Amino acid sequence: MNEMNNERFEDLKDAYVLDALAEEEKRSFEEFLAAHPERQAEIDELGAVAGLLAFSPEMQEPPPDLRNRIMNVVAAEAAPRRERQGSVLGGLWGYLGARGLALGAAALLLIGLLSWNLLLQDQVDDLQGQVQSSQGQVEDLQAQVREAQAQQTQTVQLSGTWTTQGADAEVASISGDRIILVADDLPAIPEGQTCQIWVIKGDVPEPSGLFQPGGTETAAPITTPIKKGDTIAVTVEPAGGSEQPTTDPVLSAEL
Amino acid sequence: MADRGKQYLILADEDLISLLEASDSEAFATLYDRHSRAAFSLAYRMMGDRQAAEDLAQDAFLKVWRGAGSYRAERGSVRTWILSIVHNRGIDQLRSHASRRRTQDKIEASAPRSQPSEAFAETWRNSQREQVREALNTLPREQLKILELAYFSGYTHAEISELLSLPLGTVKGRMRLGLKKIRDFFESRGAAVPR
Repeated sequence: MNEMNNERFEDLKDAYVLDALAEEEKRSFEEFLAAHPERQAEIDELGAVAGLLAFSPEMQEPPPDLRNRIMNVVAAEAAPRRERQGSVLGGLWGYLGARGLALGAAALLLIGLLSWNLLLQDQVDDLQGQVQSSQGQVEDLQAQVREAQAQQTQTVQLSGTWTTQGADAEVASISGDRIILVADDLPAIPEGQTCQIWVIKGDVPEPSGLFQPGGTETAAPITTPIKKGDTIAVTVEPAGGSEQPTTDPVLSAEL
Repeated sequence: MADRGKQYLILADEDLISLLEASDSEAFATLYDRHSRAAFSLAYRMMGDRQAAEDLAQDAFLKVWRGAGSYRAERGSVRTWILSIVHNRGIDQLRSHASRRRTQDKIEASAPRSQPSEAFAETWRNSQREQVREALNTLPREQLKILELAYFSGYTHAEISELLSLPLGTVKGRMRLGLKKIRDFFESRGAAVPR
């Protein structure tokens, strides 16, 4: 095993960001990196280039059952986690209360235990701060949602063959300049096909975005500005989309 | 349509990650719906088998759910973070089954190479993906092959050298040139490498 130095670091850094070093080389590389933090940014930058490979595989649709399996685990874990988070302060206060009784019974240890108690009090304060901060963050997000909803100026329901099959879709204008198509329960489409949004101005359809129906809810931005009188339509097209619609709309609405 | 579900659709990924820390399962479901195709596609590319790809994607998404607190926005986007989890877990699994895949990959490595136009025939869904595809298309096939064997198949540079019967220095050189070419692609367009 060669000793790691600047020259060897240079020699190995590309393999490192591709995760192509043997364990011992990797450990040695990371020890050198830890001792030379000024080189971390260079590795982060090179790692971002290597990470682009993750975007390159041919798209594969995950099976719907996978979502169900994962969500079952998440649902089972979510409730106990929320309970733990909610009870952390109560638990600590209870703990301190029991300690208070012990303090009364052991007066000779009073000074030492008081110091310890103060330390715990600081920890409780820290935890309270963390919980409040977390709650504050959630409240901020909820406020953003409420604000976005308040600014939502227009919602138009789409109809068509897919809605008769149980899908629910609408176009929403959010914050004036963000137009999105939001849909529930869209049917699956065959592999190699995609949904294409069209904004039809007069008789001229303009390609306005692609999306794959996935999961129970789908959201896709509409890339063409719309105005009153335009028609929004969705067709199923070959992967990559088409210049003109090649099938009948499965969803549409006149604005 | 459930209003509550719709609320999540307009939140940024980083906001959803914050909600995950408060054990919000609907925020997680929204993240899953946004990124599961890319994650599953990467998992499938690495494992080469749908069942193994499902297991890997499940493993990775549960790590996202359980470890949302470890996400650091300054290191890259949420999507990149999720894909890096898929990649790291995938590499671990591939290396634990290295001998099983070795024969198969040797056969693939010696088989006639597909043309880049075939390898990238799929039309990509968004501009970032399109840019990455363009960048990878600029690579000579021999450089791309080495990047793919390392990144997707989990081979070390020494193993690639053995697999392709190339000197180790050549493998390292092609890795370096391949990564540099990708970076140059973005820099030549005055764009930052997507993170």
